[in-house]
Order: sequence, then C-alpha cells, then structure tokens
Amino acid sequence: MISNLITMNGYGIFVWSSFVITILVCWLVYYKTKKTLKKYEKEFAKEIEELSVQQKKSVLRNSKIASKILASYNKTI
Amino acid sequence: MLNFFHNSYIFILIEKLVNFINSIFFVLLLVALSFALVFSPPDYLQGDSVRIMYVHVPAAWISLASFSCIAIFSILNFIFKIKNLKLITKSIAPIGLMFTCIAIVTGSIWGKPTWGTFWAWDARITSMVIMALFYLFFIVIYKFFDDDKANKISSILAVIGLINIPIIKYSVEWWSTLHQPASIKITGTSTIHSSMLTPLMLMFFVLILYCALIFLMKYKTEIIKIKKKNLKRYDQ
Repeated sequence: MISNLITMNGYGIFVWSSFVITILVCWLVYYKTKKTLKKYEKEFAKEIEELSVQQKKSVLRNSKIASKILASYNKTI
Repeated sequence: MLNFFHNSYIFILIEKLVNFINSIFFVLLLVALSFALVFSPPDYLQGDSVRIMYVHVPAAWISLASFSCIAIFSILNFIFKIKNLKLITKSIAPIGLMFTCIAIVTGSIWGKPTWGTFWAWDARITSMVIMALFYLFFIVIYKFFDDDKANKISSILAVIGLINIPIIKYSVEWWSTLHQPASIKITGTSTIHSSMLTPLMLMFFVLILYCALIFLMKYKTEIIKIKKKNLKRYDQ
C-alpha cells in the first residue's frame, strides 16, 4: 500500500515532484509575504514611537490602523 | 455602506479573515491531499499520472481568473478612479504569476509521461507563457516607475493582456495542439467522473483559500505602506 503510494505505478517521480514543487513554492511565497508584512508593521510602529507625544496622540486618535499596529507591536516586544 | 470601503474597517476585517483562514487551512489541505493522492482512482489511460491534474488544473484556473480580475479592476479604475482597486490589482499580480508558473511547470512534468516530452511550443503552453510575461511586466512596472505612472502603464498592459485570455481558453479548439480539450465546462456536460471531480474541487477550494490568505496579507501591507507615507506629514 505505502510502496504503491510512493511509486504510483512508475509515475511517482512525476506526481510527487508536481505536488512537492507546488507546496514548496506556496510555502515560500507565504513565508516571504508574512515576513514583508511584519517588517512594514515593525517599521510603522517604530516611526510612531519616534513621534513627539502630541503628534503620537494625534496619530493614534485619527487612525485606528495605527493604534492597532502599535498595540500588536508592543505585545511582541 | 461607505464605512465598508474605509481602510480602517477593511484592515480590521482582514485581520479577522486571516485568523479564520489560518485556523481551517491545514485541516482542509490534509483532506484535499488525501483525496488527491490516495482516495481518487487512477485514470484508465493515464494511470496515476492523472493525479498531477489536482494541482495543475486549479493553478491554471486561478492564474486565468487572477488576470481577468486584474484587467477588469484596471478598467474600473480607469473609469471610476477608485484608489483601492489599484491596491487590489497590485496584491493579486504576484499570486497570479506564481500560479501561472506552477501551472506551466506541473503541466511540463505531466507532459513527459503523457506526450513523451517536457516541452512543446504548442498554442496552449505558449499562450500561458505569454500570460506569465504579462504578469511579470505588470509587477516590474511598479518597481521602475512612480505610483501614478506605474498605475497607468500597468492598467494599459492588463487591458492588452486580457486579449490573451480567450486565446488561452480556446487555443485547444482553434489550433491542433498536444493539450487536451477542457473536461469541465461551465455550460454543457462535463466529461469527468465525480470520483475525480471531488478531489479536484477540494484542491481548488484549498488553493483559493491560500490565494485569499496571501492576497489579504499583501493588501494589508499596501495599506500600511500608505499609512507610513501619511505619517511622514506629521514629521514635517
């Protein structure tokens, strides 16, 4: 049963390579996309932190996104 | 209703959707892979090599659908000038390119046991390569031009590329090709057995979920990029 699953009656190399390539590429793109997102979130949160107290207050009051990102960034550090 | 299109509302919605997809994705992937690799029967003619269909066909469908979406949104952006549409097309393009490449590579691997060759410059394969080039140019344009100019050029490119979609679809009927005609038809009777159609649809659903996940993360990144630009105004 297992050897049949691996060899697939002689087509194993073609079938498995297709699935492995697809999964590998999908995983790589997922990893890179997530990494880029985290990088931008971190940079954005840092830029908010660098603002003066008044500017920071104003940004957080006007932007829900900014306050959400800053909150999640503070959780991770 | 207008609140729905507001970036902060979309941002919160994206977070919830990403968490939801992450929570169900791996279970669905395991189920779909089990059906595709174990439970589905081999083809009477192609044997087990038919299982390549479960990644090749959904990848090709997604690549065609992605480009159609990009072209339609580009046309709408031309007419209505909605900023979000630009972000949507920018986020879809890399996904489309990835699935076009997967469709070409898995198709090439499938070609060896069925046609006896990895590559042939036949109409379907060539038109898919042309679509991959359209995707590539669409992405590269944003790297070389400023946002407004890139938006205009990429929109024109997407509309020109739209001509290629019916060519890909009907290439197997218009020309004599190695590629087989479609087995699944939206209108008309499909010529695929339900024991193969079920895993195919399951894999398609899982890959659509994956696309949604990547799209949402890319869209979120684009929103943060805009917010970052806006933040610079406070600095000045």
